[in-house]
Amino acid sequence: MIAALVLTAALAGQAPPAHEPTPAPAVEPHGEAAATEPAAAGHEAPGHESEEHEGPAAILMHHVTDRPLGYDFVVGPLHLGPTRHLIFFLLASAVVLILVRLAIRSYREGIPTGIGTAVETLVVYVRDEIAEKNIGHDGAKYTPLLLSFFFFILIAALMGLLPFSSTSTGNISVTLGLAVVSFLAMQFAGISKYGFIHHYKNMVPAGLPAWLLPIIIPVEILGMFSKPFALMIRLFANMLAGHMVITTLLLLIPLMSAIGLLFGLPMIPISLVLALFIMILEILVAFIQAYVFTLLTSIFIGMSAHPAH
Amino acid sequence: MPTDPKAFAYFAAGIGAGLTIMGGAAGIGRLAAAAMEGIARQPNAAGDIRGAMILSAALIEGVTFFALIVTILLAIKT
Repeated sequence: MIAALVLTAALAGQAPPAHEPTPAPAVEPHGEAAATEPAAAGHEAPGHESEEHEGPAAILMHHVTDRPLGYDFVVGPLHLGPTRHLIFFLLASAVVLILVRLAIRSYREGIPTGIGTAVETLVVYVRDEIAEKNIGHDGAKYTPLLLSFFFFILIAALMGLLPFSSTSTGNISVTLGLAVVSFLAMQFAGISKYGFIHHYKNMVPAGLPAWLLPIIIPVEILGMFSKPFALMIRLFANMLAGHMVITTLLLLIPLMSAIGLLFGLPMIPISLVLALFIMILEILVAFIQAYVFTLLTSIFIGMSAHPAH
Repeated sequence: MPTDPKAFAYFAAGIGAGLTIMGGAAGIGRLAAAAMEGIARQPNAAGDIRGAMILSAALIEGVTFFALIVTILLAIKT
C-alpha cells in the first residue's frame, strides 16, 4: 500500500509539467507601465506607484495582469517569452516536483518522516475522500490526475501570496489548460468504459419520451462544455479576486492621502489590518479551491463513468 | 448629470457588484443554515453534510463570480 502511495505521489509530481497549458499567448505588452516598472509588483508598495501618472484602476490591473519580463520569445504567432505568470507557473510546478521528491525521500522503512507525513495525509485524503468516494472502485486510476490538480493549484495559490510573486492560476489561460485536461479526463472516463458511441448515448437518460429528445440533447451538450468552463472561471476568479481585494485595500491609503494627511494617516493601520485579514483568508481559499477543483473534477468523472445515477 | 459613458460604467459596476454579493450571500447563507441544522439533527452525518455543503457553496460561488467578472470588466473599461 505504501508503495502505491509513493507511486501516486511521484505521478502527482510529474503530471503538472506534462499538462502545460502554455499560458503565454494571451500576453500583450501594455503600455509604458509594463516597460518602466517591471519589478514593482510588491504588495507593500502601492503608495509609491500612485505618485506617478497611473490611476487606481491602472495600478490594480498592473498588479494582477500578466506581463512580459524583458525579452519576448516569438515563435510564429505565439509569444512564448518569459512572462510573470509563466515564470511562476513553472516555479509552482518545480516546487510541486521538489516537494513530492522530498516527501518520497523522507520514507524510512516505509514510514514517512517530516514533510512526507504532510504530503501523505493530503494524498490519502484525496484518494479516499475525493477519488474513491465519487468515482468508485476505479477511483485509484484517476487519483494521480486529481492529485496533480490538487497540489498544483494549492502550491500555485500559496506561492502567489509571497511578496514580489504572482498567482499563475490567476491567469485565465492557465485555468483554461487545467479545465481542458479535466474535460479530457471526463470524456476519457466515459469512452474507456463504454466505448465511443455508447458514452455519448449515455448522456441522454434511457427511457425518455422521443419528443423530449430535441430539448434534452442540446442541453446535455451544453452541460458537457459548461462543466469545465465553470471550473475555469471559478478558479480564475477566485485567484484574481483575492489579489484585487488586497491591492484595493492597500490603495485606500494613497486615495485617502490625496484628500489630506489627516485622512491618510489613520487609514494606514486600517488598511493593513484589513489586507492582512484578506491574506489569511486567501490561505484558506487556496486550500478550498484546490479541494473544490479536485472534487468537482472527480464528481464529473464519476458522472460520466456511472451515468445511471 | 454625468454624460461621460465611463461614469455610467463605474456606477453600473458598483451597483452590480453589490447586487451580486447580495444574491451570493443569500444563497450561501441559506445553504449554511440548512447544513448547520442538518448537522445539529444528525451529528454523525456531519462529514457528508459538510462535503455536500462545500460543493454546493462552490457552485453558488461560481455563478456569483461570473457576475463579478462582468462588473470587473465594466470597472476597468477604458
